[in-house]
Amino acid sequence: MTGPAAHAGLPPDSRPLAHAFAVLRALSDGRFHSGEAIAGSLGCSRTLVWQAVHTIENVFGLQVYSVRGQGYKLAQPFEWLDMAAVRQGLAEAAADTWTLALVDETDSTNTQLTIRASAGAPHGLVLAAERQSAGRGRLGRRWQARLGSGLTFSLLWRFERGIAGLPGLSLAVGVALVRALTALGVPVALKWPNDLLIDGAKLAGILIELSGDALGPATVVIGIGLNVADPGPIDQPVANLAAAGHPLGRNQLLAAVLNALHDVLTTFNREGFAAFREEWTAHAAFVGEPVRVSFSHGQPVEGIARGVDDNGALLVETPEGLRTFHVGEVSLRRRRT
Amino acid sequence: MDLRKLKKLIDLVEESGIAELEVTEGEEKVRITRVSANQAFTLAQPMTSVQLPQAAAPQAPAATPAAEAAPAPADDKNAVKSPMVGTFYRSPSPGAKSFIEVGQKVEVGDTLCIIEAMKLMNEIEAERAGIVKAILAEDGQPVEYGEPLFIIE
Repeated sequence: MTGPAAHAGLPPDSRPLAHAFAVLRALSDGRFHSGEAIAGSLGCSRTLVWQAVHTIENVFGLQVYSVRGQGYKLAQPFEWLDMAAVRQGLAEAAADTWTLALVDETDSTNTQLTIRASAGAPHGLVLAAERQSAGRGRLGRRWQARLGSGLTFSLLWRFERGIAGLPGLSLAVGVALVRALTALGVPVALKWPNDLLIDGAKLAGILIELSGDALGPATVVIGIGLNVADPGPIDQPVANLAAAGHPLGRNQLLAAVLNALHDVLTTFNREGFAAFREEWTAHAAFVGEPVRVSFSHGQPVEGIARGVDDNGALLVETPEGLRTFHVGEVSLRRRRT
Repeated sequence: MDLRKLKKLIDLVEESGIAELEVTEGEEKVRITRVSANQAFTLAQPMTSVQLPQAAAPQAPAATPAAEAAPAPADDKNAVKSPMVGTFYRSPSPGAKSFIEVGQKVEVGDTLCIIEAMKLMNEIEAERAGIVKAILAEDGQPVEYGEPLFIIE
């Protein structure tokens, strides 16, 4: 059983990139290949191969050895995303739900799925990309990583409940990631609302965009970026699985995450966040610890973190009593010694 | 304009976060300006005058008696309210162009703003076409469930 191969489409001026991907595929076994042999197998000129190697190094951020008389060799062999391999790792119910699509390069998987959602794309469509040219984080923050170092994908989910019934969804998605990674032997913790931490540093980014009525069915696009290996220079200090001692294949990882997301989103559609409140709290960093909640406007609030309520809102015990927060940035407050 | 009405208008400005409100009723004209600490020196901004939605109410068709029996408040009908508790954003990313400005015409399905609730980015779309008469919330500020965000007529 194979999922439909959706063509998410390369931008119109993407031919140099398409060549670079073709040459990278030719090099992905980690052996030396002569420029002439690659050119012959791709039916292009050796100059084009040389240009493609240049792109692989400077745009994709991968190191290529170039040796006179032997040709080109990738410094580190490369595991491609492979939807057939992902599908093999899916549980039966998950395999029935997810339609898997893969693209070498796109602007942003979230943007592509949002466009497709309004054009009537099916529930359960997953779009993974080897590379995003305009990967987005929260509030337009750029998300860019070395090719093959991350797992970036988005999925489309149509909820029967309306927007008003979706508070806590981002926390539930965090719970799904915890389930998948814990099962693979990776100890992770959650920081409110949905940062995934390993040894206190951020391992994954989640971007959820939704549209729909307050009461009618809501369409949600969930984008996830997981750092699998060293992402190279990016905006903020982040953790990655390989550096934390968990070298995992991206296809295996994607299957595990999609299995967990299928279960979590199905339950969430029925029962909302309340069904995940205990599990979230059990894996939360900072519960019982002194924290500070900061805001873009106004004074920060200090107190003891007490987990979350049935809507996923943060509970903090303050001198004025237990308070509930829907917005804010949580940080651990150092005890005075 | 009696004092009670004036008080009500001041409350409206206080609660909704409108920066400035100008109401014209016949010959009378009232302007209420809210000055908060971080706005006190932004005098260079062009002044926007906001017409209260009530002023447009008499234009409703008088032919249907039912409308008279149940006079829904005009601002209820024209207000776009927040579907959730969260943070109000007027643009897709900081520094980017705002989705809409006062005076702009919007079509059904146009994105008006983003409400972020616990990292859920919720694009609020226009359910009716019209002209943006007022933007009632400030960029980056928390909004409550049901709080009016825009007046679109």
